Amino acid sequence: MKRKKIKKAIIIIVSILILIVELFPILIIVLNGFKRDIDIWSGNPFSFKPTLQSYKKIFQRSDVWLGLKNSILVGLISTIISLIVGAMASYAIARFDFKYRETVAYSFLVSRMIPQISLAIPLFMMFRFINLIDTLPALIFAHMSFNIPYVVWVLLPFFSDVPKEYEEAALVDGCDKKKIFWKIFLPLVAPGVVVAGVFTFMMSWNEFLYALVLTSSQAKTAPVVINGFMGQYAPLWGQLAAAGTIMLIPNFVITLLFQRYLIEGMSGGIKG
Amino acid sequence: MVTKKEKRIGEKSPVLYFILPAIILVAVILIFPLLFALGISFFNWDLIDESARGFIGFSNFVNIFKDKSFWNALFLQLGFIFIAIPIETVIGFFVAMLLNREFKGVKVIRSLLLLPVFVLPVLSGLTWRLMLQPEYGAISFLLTKIGVSQTTWLAKPTTAYAAVIIQDIWRMWPFMFMFLYSGLINIPPSLIEAADLDGAGFWDKVFKIILPLLKPTFTTAILLRLIDALRIFSEVFVMTEGGPGNATTLLSLYIYKQAFRYFNIGYASAMGIILTIISLTIAIFLVRKNMMMESA
Repeated sequence: MKRKKIKKAIIIIVSILILIVELFPILIIVLNGFKRDIDIWSGNPFSFKPTLQSYKKIFQRSDVWLGLKNSILVGLISTIISLIVGAMASYAIARFDFKYRETVAYSFLVSRMIPQISLAIPLFMMFRFINLIDTLPALIFAHMSFNIPYVVWVLLPFFSDVPKEYEEAALVDGCDKKKIFWKIFLPLVAPGVVVAGVFTFMMSWNEFLYALVLTSSQAKTAPVVINGFMGQYAPLWGQLAAAGTIMLIPNFVITLLFQRYLIEGMSGGIKG
Repeated sequence: MVTKKEKRIGEKSPVLYFILPAIILVAVILIFPLLFALGISFFNWDLIDESARGFIGFSNFVNIFKDKSFWNALFLQLGFIFIAIPIETVIGFFVAMLLNREFKGVKVIRSLLLLPVFVLPVLSGLTWRLMLQPEYGAISFLLTKIGVSQTTWLAKPTTAYAAVIIQDIWRMWPFMFMFLYSGLINIPPSLIEAADLDGAGFWDKVFKIILPLLKPTFTTAILLRLIDALRIFSEVFVMTEGGPGNATTLLSLYIYKQAFRYFNIGYASAMGIILTIISLTIAIFLVRKNMMMESA
């Protein structure tokens, strides 16, 4: 009995140690947001007097506001379009039998795995040619290239799970297929749409490479602005941490609220 | 005749109505750009100097195979994948085993452990860069406390490469943990209890019962990680910019540099095509496996 107790104590201690190691870098980000730069530059990470200086500074910067605004706009618009277009395609794949159905479905899945850098170059050339470099539409389109295939696959199981009776009852009532989708299926898969939407938005929110390549000043998103804090001479660690903390909030809220759906969200329809 | 035709239209048109918007958008922003990149990869295409452009056939591809920096990037990339992913898998598995039991607070620990996966890649890279600064970085500080001498971790090739890998392990073993834990809780406890009755030791249970049952979960999680690790860019770019020298210039970073620092768009596109082919090959493995599971 005593041995069992010791074993349990060891397990708990080890678990807590692992957790501390994993949360340490996040703690550093959050703490640094409340330090003066001079305290960050002094060795000990834990001795400092908390201050809101960095937060005050970032909220006075127009580039921070612009970056956050652009990030939110790009995330929201590309998410909404991807949800509408992706849900429609997902419904067709889950509910209709047509030629090349599997080919279409798996093409969507595979296309999500194309390395971004391979797409970033031709997208840059295309958008340069039509003068869309450094505009939000360019970024929104670029983000849809990974968001649409993602939505299609996350929603597939949700659409497949709707019992046939719902469809048949609606057909008897004289609804056509389009009405059935908008009026019956979409409300029924609403939880799936929320999950897909939340994770799509987070992918856009985290995205860096397209923003780096396709924008220069007006359409910069927050991750690019944050990286700009590294500066040419002295990095502005305090402001970087403050802005970084703000950007972490939506991600962590999503992680903790959507716990049950994390695996679906992360694997995008691929079964474990 | 008329009714038959009507029926056919009635059956087909809703499919097109639903699926065409997605297909058109994906064609414009995904398939067309890829074909464009494929086309450009047969050209000498300088972004700035228009006079230096021209069709050169397969020369870009031939040059890639002669390019020492490309082989270096490929080597670093493979090293990154073959060091990071196995370590992430092993840690993820054992922590899943460790936390697959009930004690006070275990639920909170399991949720909080997942947070690093959702830290923005850019922020993760920058934070590690900060923590590794000599003089004032938190990790440097802690290391000096245990007697490791100060050094510029990110300015030395070996330690910079190690740092990039450690950053990835820190961020991504919880991803493995998440998948493997969800597989573990689906193993019927009766199987483990039966093994216990037979007097099986810990490693017997791991190798004879748990690993075989978790094989599909392992494969999916590892393939997903593989696809991501193959295209890693942001974290490394902000952490080291591929330096010092070329020490952390992984494939995506090398392609980026060729395209946007040296403006060799054609050459970079050709490398992009090669990287895409590698990724899609892995992706098709993943899809095949998925299809087999569905039909089974």
